[in-house]
Amino acid sequence: MGVTCVSQMPVAEGKSVQQTVELLTRKLEMLGAEKQGTFCVDCETYHTAASTLGSQGQAGKLMYVMHNSEYPLSCFALFENGPCLTADTNFDVLMVKLKGFFQSAKASKIETRGTRYQYCDFLVKVGTVTMGPSARGISVEVEYGPCVVASDCWSLLLEFLQSFLGSHTPAAPAVFGNKHDAVYGPADTMVQYMELFNKIRKQQQVPVAGIR
Amino acid sequence: MEAPPVTMMPVTGGTINMMEYLLQGSVLDHSLESLIHRLRGLCDNMEPETFLDHEMVFLLKGQQASPFVLRARRSMDRAGTPWHLRYLGQPEMGDKNRHALVRNCVDIATSENLTDFLMEMGFRMDHEFVTKGHLFRKGIMKIMVYKIFRILVPGNTDSTEALSLSYLVELSVVAPAGQDMVSDDMRNFAEQLKPLVHLEKIDPKRLM
Repeated sequence: MGVTCVSQMPVAEGKSVQQTVELLTRKLEMLGAEKQGTFCVDCETYHTAASTLGSQGQAGKLMYVMHNSEYPLSCFALFENGPCLTADTNFDVLMVKLKGFFQSAKASKIETRGTRYQYCDFLVKVGTVTMGPSARGISVEVEYGPCVVASDCWSLLLEFLQSFLGSHTPAAPAVFGNKHDAVYGPADTMVQYMELFNKIRKQQQVPVAGIR
Repeated sequence: MEAPPVTMMPVTGGTINMMEYLLQGSVLDHSLESLIHRLRGLCDNMEPETFLDHEMVFLLKGQQASPFVLRARRSMDRAGTPWHLRYLGQPEMGDKNRHALVRNCVDIATSENLTDFLMEMGFRMDHEFVTKGHLFRKGIMKIMVYKIFRILVPGNTDSTEALSLSYLVELSVVAPAGQDMVSDDMRNFAEQLKPLVHLEKIDPKRLM
């Protein structure tokens, strides 16, 4: 996978989540991007069950298990500020076996779904982030396919982001900072999504007034 | 109405319960060559395959009486291959007629940071060992003939010492639950290896 930047697009003033997504996708289509199917990234949260805490004497940690439709046969498991494991989909079966030790916080399942757009060497995914039935925000993922070293193509990515995000262009993702010449991989993208989902979870719910 | 063939099941790995059917035996070092020779004749025709693996067994202790066991295995001679994480359930009791040991099994291929991740989850390494041997296949059956080496200095896989003067022989099949004719096929194959090696169903509980 090429170097990827995942960011959040704030909802436009006086508009709904869906309308903002439509504004963005229209801008992309005017640029000349081609629609290429849909995508979905989801995230489930697990926390160490109370029974295992006593023996370790540490606060319960949160473990995130994520899936990305771009890698349908893979499953990603990560800890905040910890390692990100890339595994195959049998990892979900293992989590079922570990029910007694790791409890799933069902209510905090969060996902983003939307359309994929291909524009030359860029792959852009604009998605609506939902928690349960409510739309909570907008995610924008841009991948520059040909390059796998973040420091080599960040300025090019930034320029492309500015062309359709304008003033909402994000700063360089934190994952780029850690690895100056290291090869970028899908696990880094999942870390960015985890950070985005956590940020959105903490935000206030998008006000209902104004939709419709 | 027949159940759809396994290949039509969704590739999400969510609900299929796989079982491992196992028969074990051993041969002394000096009998290895004749066993390998017979296996080469009986098994699928392919380049002789050897392996050198390092396996670590991790435990997660909770308030339950028995800790949760996970096995992490990596290849030492094939660079770039994924790590193999394996969960094995308790052997299924009951049917004395069933010829092989049957237990639930979950196999997961993972990236190289598996041990760091397991530690982060709360697992602690209980023991580790190195295995070196030969691998054969016959249809869905896998036959492994290998020697176990004890690691003298934790973490250092270069200094090892053989555990015994024999090779462990394992005949195993991983198949969806409910396919008991698998153990019959395994028993028939095991018959063909007698008297070089006697493969039997060995209950791990009885050894402890």
